[in-house]
Amino acid sequence: MLQAETLQLLCLTSTSGVPLFSRGSAKQLPFSIIGSLNGVHMFGAGHGAQLMSCETDRGSRVVWGVFQESLMLIAVSCGGGPAISELQLSRLLENVWNCMVLVLGQDELANMRNVERLKRELRSCYRLIDLLLERVSDEQGFMGDLTQCADCLLLSNSGLLQEALDSFTQAAESEFGCLLVHGRVAQATEKWWSRLSSQEVVVLSVLVHSLSGASSCDYPVFLPQGSPTVAIRLLSFQLLPGVHVCVLCGPKPSLYKAENELIGRFWSTFVENLRSCLEQAKHSTLPPSVSLRWDIQALLLINRESRRAVTVCPRVRSGAPSEATPLLSSGRRLELLRLFYTFAMTRYFNPQEASVSSALTTSEDFSQGFTHVPVQCYLVTDECKCYGLQSSQHQLFLLMDLSVPTFALRTVATQTLSAITAATGF
Amino acid sequence: MSVPPGSIIVSDWHRFPDSREFFSRILHNKKRRKFGLLEAPMMPPHMNVDIVRYKVFISGKTGVGKSALAARLAGLDFPKMHYETTGIETTVVFWPVRLKESGRVLFFRFELWDCGESAIRRFDHMLPSCKEQVDAILFLFSFTDRGSFDDLSNQITRITESSDRVVKLVVGTKFDLFMHTDVTESDVTHFQEVWGLPIFRVGGDVSAGLGEIAPLLNALAENLWHQDCMAASSVSISTPAALRETDSEIIV
Repeated sequence: MLQAETLQLLCLTSTSGVPLFSRGSAKQLPFSIIGSLNGVHMFGAGHGAQLMSCETDRGSRVVWGVFQESLMLIAVSCGGGPAISELQLSRLLENVWNCMVLVLGQDELANMRNVERLKRELRSCYRLIDLLLERVSDEQGFMGDLTQCADCLLLSNSGLLQEALDSFTQAAESEFGCLLVHGRVAQATEKWWSRLSSQEVVVLSVLVHSLSGASSCDYPVFLPQGSPTVAIRLLSFQLLPGVHVCVLCGPKPSLYKAENELIGRFWSTFVENLRSCLEQAKHSTLPPSVSLRWDIQALLLINRESRRAVTVCPRVRSGAPSEATPLLSSGRRLELLRLFYTFAMTRYFNPQEASVSSALTTSEDFSQGFTHVPVQCYLVTDECKCYGLQSSQHQLFLLMDLSVPTFALRTVATQTLSAITAATGF
Repeated sequence: MSVPPGSIIVSDWHRFPDSREFFSRILHNKKRRKFGLLEAPMMPPHMNVDIVRYKVFISGKTGVGKSALAARLAGLDFPKMHYETTGIETTVVFWPVRLKESGRVLFFRFELWDCGESAIRRFDHMLPSCKEQVDAILFLFSFTDRGSFDDLSNQITRITESSDRVVKLVVGTKFDLFMHTDVTESDVTHFQEVWGLPIFRVGGDVSAGLGEIAPLLNALAENLWHQDCMAASSVSISTPAALRETDSEIIV
């Protein structure tokens, strides 16, 4: 039924089923199929059943989502491409919705007056939506779209930059400031973490990353949770190529003023520090003081309190014995890491948190029978060994070499966790 | 109204051997170097090249290619697809220029301000923000969109007031798509006569060569410099360079 291309996103009005846009694979689905996808969902709704997802035996998947009772988003992934889990597709729908609110505001989307006008307005979301679709099988190690935690870069000397960011943010009449290096949060003010929801932090990072060519920008944004109907301003400045500082602020200061009066004053003395951040980011998202074992193929570490995450996917193995098998491609390792994260989250760690709405995903019934919360899990495949562990503060997902004995996985995982947290305070 | 090309600065200077040292500062691996806001082209200290900063607003209807022009002038990669700009984006372009009379070399730092039409319509603060302290405005039309050309005069009167001290230039985009052109040569000539504004043509061929963008950037530099000289002589305080010299710049 579906063409070979991998992923497609459809948007329709939920009540009348009028197609508003479709993004993703080059070959658009025929109108009749779009109509059926909408029809089958409507049929369920008419009988008091909510259709959330379905799967074919050849690995294709469809996930539905209705937002604000006004718009329906449908993600269609086809077998043959990289494996995309149901969790990932439903998170994609949420992120796309959040981006649409971010750009247009909730009123525009929820109270549809004129379909043709809305179609036109929605075009302004395409840049972000396309970026989110690319991120689904991203090879640069961005996971925030799946984990709904901000992708971070952990710096070794962060104190000075934190101070600079705090005072710059204050001078821009704001409490929300953030420093990003190649799209990853390197530093943010306290309010950025405590008052913005993690989904907002994720879509704001995506937005700033999408503007990476510009020297500075002044974007009106609606915060999906914090301010869905009143626009605030996102000012972003490219201090060095790849290094952006941004603030959320009110009517003042003007972009011209902020750029000409504040940037030089607060940042010019930190050029060297920022350059060393760039240098570090080239090698790893962890500071050089943390050295990982050579047999760790990739890892994802999440701070559950602050909803921050760091992904590591080493490009070379240092210190590996000569007989060690070569590393899988980083694209494949990241794909496996995403799948293992999904596996561990939906089955063991926190099915409630992982499932998108209050209803649990269909195939994972048995986890409801647990009277306890599992804190560790592992999985051995023919490509790698995976270990996951969670504490009240952290979650760690680790891909390791097949050469690591299975009984040693737990020790490696706990040692890795304490090595990173001790060195970085993450 | 505008200055004839080559009367104040050396036109086509990028072709002269003595410019190589300066142009090499804005290039990197045969591509244009990218500069962050804290950076500027670095010259050896004894050469003492001043940097003069100007704000340039790019105005034009949706889809005429405002963002693409900014990317072209800065030598950035083109977006593969057309995306609407939903806020203000600025792009910094450095451009070395030799003054004809004194032989002095200056680095012009143009900050190009680009804002999507729909954002201007939806949010009241966008246009005033773009016009704040603006030094020049580029009015864009597309050779493939007659409507955008007809709208020019409308736009010029709407955005500028007669008292404004701004350089105005007109740029026709997508000139390479001459098969689909909607705007004829005589239309262009007529417009130039009526408004006294020069029209530049850009489009196609993204070879990242300097030759393609040099006429426009040189004209921008020449007219801005002229405007500043006129202003300085009428107030007679000091040379414009002294007024605008930037001392807070950090050097790469």
